Amino acid sequence: MYGGDEVSAIVIDLGSHTCKAGYAGEDAPKAVFPSVVGAIDQMDVDESDNGEKNSASAAESKNNLKNDDSDKAKGKRKLYVGSQSLGYRRDHMEVLSPFKDGIVADWDIVDSIWDHAFRECLLIDPKEHPMLLAEPSSNTQQQRERTAELMFEKYKAPALFLGKNAVLTSFASGRATSLVVDGGGGSITVAPVHDGYVLQKAVATSPIGGEFLTDCLMKSLESKGIMIKPRYSFRRKEIRPGEFQTVDLDFPNTTESYKLYSQRVIASDIKESVCRAPDTPYDESAYSNIPMTSYELPDGQTIEIGADRFKIPDILFNPSLVQSIPGMESFTEIAPSVRGLPQMVVESISKCDVDIRRELFSSILLAGGTASMQQLKERLEKDLLEESPQAARVKVLASGNATERRFSVWIGGSILASLGSFQQMWFSKSEYEEHGASYIQRKCP
Amino acid sequence: MEAAVVDPGSSLLKAGFAIPDQSPAMIIPTQMKRMIDDGSMTDNPVVDEVAIDPVCRGYVRDWDAMEDLLHYVLYTGLGWEIGNEGQILFTDPLCTPKANKEQLVQLMFETFNISGFYASEQAVLSLYAVGRISGCTVDIGHGKIDIAPVIEGAVNHIASRRFEFGGIDLTNFLAQELGKSNPLVNISISDVEKIKQLYSCCAEDELAYQKTQNSCPVETHTLPDGQVITIGRERYTIGESLFQPCLLGLEAHGIVEQLVRTISTVSSDNHRQLLENTVVCGGASSMTGFEERFQKESSLSSSAIRPTLVKPPEYMPENLSMYSAWVGGAILAKVVFPQNQHVTKADYDETGPSIVHRKCF
Repeated sequence: MYGGDEVSAIVIDLGSHTCKAGYAGEDAPKAVFPSVVGAIDQMDVDESDNGEKNSASAAESKNNLKNDDSDKAKGKRKLYVGSQSLGYRRDHMEVLSPFKDGIVADWDIVDSIWDHAFRECLLIDPKEHPMLLAEPSSNTQQQRERTAELMFEKYKAPALFLGKNAVLTSFASGRATSLVVDGGGGSITVAPVHDGYVLQKAVATSPIGGEFLTDCLMKSLESKGIMIKPRYSFRRKEIRPGEFQTVDLDFPNTTESYKLYSQRVIASDIKESVCRAPDTPYDESAYSNIPMTSYELPDGQTIEIGADRFKIPDILFNPSLVQSIPGMESFTEIAPSVRGLPQMVVESISKCDVDIRRELFSSILLAGGTASMQQLKERLEKDLLEESPQAARVKVLASGNATERRFSVWIGGSILASLGSFQQMWFSKSEYEEHGASYIQRKCP
Repeated sequence: MEAAVVDPGSSLLKAGFAIPDQSPAMIIPTQMKRMIDDGSMTDNPVVDEVAIDPVCRGYVRDWDAMEDLLHYVLYTGLGWEIGNEGQILFTDPLCTPKANKEQLVQLMFETFNISGFYASEQAVLSLYAVGRISGCTVDIGHGKIDIAPVIEGAVNHIASRRFEFGGIDLTNFLAQELGKSNPLVNISISDVEKIKQLYSCCAEDELAYQKTQNSCPVETHTLPDGQVITIGRERYTIGESLFQPCLLGLEAHGIVEQLVRTISTVSSDNHRQLLENTVVCGGASSMTGFEERFQKESSLSSSAIRPTLVKPPEYMPENLSMYSAWVGGAILAKVVFPQNQHVTKADYDETGPSIVHRKCF
């Protein structure tokens, strides 16, 4: 239907932390930006400020609503997408995520994210390119139908395909059967893939994702008295030639969520550059004398990080460590049900058929940003050797290149969409018009 | 015959044969005027002139006009003969859509019948012109500003940023301001452009800028049609708006801050290499006082390593920053074409326009 060469498909992976978008056939996404948006509720802004560009278009679409009250309730929001727009501090700007508990809750935000990717980052017209979207391994039928609706009705894409994250990662490494450990921003998902299909009953998720670890790091640093100052809150002034002083700026109208977002950006950079998975389970006394590594914050402060370097990654293996971090008490309610990573892997495999277990153990793939932590592969292998049955040969595979690990879902999509044999599997617009959105269940297994 | 190098910018098109160490043979404005010729001779020929910009914000938008322009440049300007066309190297800005690249290749091979083609990104070429393969390019053009970190000749697309804001917005702003301070004078945009190039400058730092806002020596300038206008503090506002875009009403940070933030998204092993090899190029960078201000801002920036500007080599012509992408293209052309890494006519005939994505990056 679509020649792989002439018409380039677009691959989009909307993750809980970043959105990756780009052309199929390339080896890395062109557009990578945070999948949160800044929103300014027009109601908050001064009534006299009616010259907002958005209010005109928003008013038109609101004319179709019958109830005036729902007008006010929905509010006319101006959304700011992309790292450039988000990087600029605006009064009353809230940072919102489209996801709630891993599934999409706010479709307007998803819409604006896609729009930004198409019109501002990739500079393409969605009408001309088939779309391959990555979806979570346990996505509901309703979500898929909604996605199809949005894509076909609003963007008029000629064709669509929804690929599960785990399957795409599997393809990226050239395997049809594997156990995919996807460590993303919002959660860690362990999903076995067999012959290109995800075994739904064996999928396990844990809320401990990259963002959770970043929060732990922030709280841990705060308890030691180190405050991370967001980039907008200070500036350097030259008081005498050659001598500089950092001056704090105060912006009273900045929302809490924006402040938190800016701090998280810095904290996740600390986490990525300094944290390493420890070789043995973390022990307070053993790691108390560890030499400290220094890290320079944007405002010039140099901080020393010692035990936290190993404590934070170890939370993946031993979630109960979280309770020892002051400020994370809210976690203790769900703590009992959360398992460490090796336990999740073993549990997931034991829910699969006996025949494929051997193959799954010997091809465990690591994917996602959190999985690109240093030494994680070695530690996971070691822990699994202890937990797994004796006869199993455990092998954890991870691409050496950090970029490849972070974008392995996207890369898998890029490979899939450029295969000649895939071209007949697209869910085309005419099929959508004929059979409706529910047909997607049949076309995209 | 030497390969031809063409750098189509939003304001100026630079073209010439690939002879490095020299400035391009042709630097002509990209803007063209279309004369609507009725064909009927009347007593008072009212010629309708429409100004056309084939290149808008860095990307080619009007392909027919581009074709005419290239025809003039290649055949009349550079002296190509029909039937004996040579090889050509084009420069692309950041984030050029795939469709644009394919269209250009198609135009060159089918309409102009060239023998070889290559396209490269302006960010990489500007670095080649100063003798580096890794560093960060800040390209302040007429239609856009690109900030691109380049590592070993490959642009890091994920980290690079592009702003839809450039010299043309500064010109419009200046026109507005001059209109306010000289209400009786009628100035055309092209005159404002010239005034901007003559008079705009950067204040030493923010405090100095504040002082100029309060009191500034006023200069008078005579327009070609005889009118006299006064220019005061607008000169400094133009330069300042690159470092504080909020003066123009844009919600963005200044150039140096954006540069630092861009680099912070790249993995920290490369930070030093990128920041210490920063190249600023493009028309606006030749403003008086720009470099000093840039250095000043970079010492105030929130980064451990200060961005340092690279000094162009002595054997390069003066004014390198105006056309460093072209010079880099000339250097690259000398490497790519003899080694047959370019797209040949045979390649194009066999595969079609999409070959450009595979061979040129």
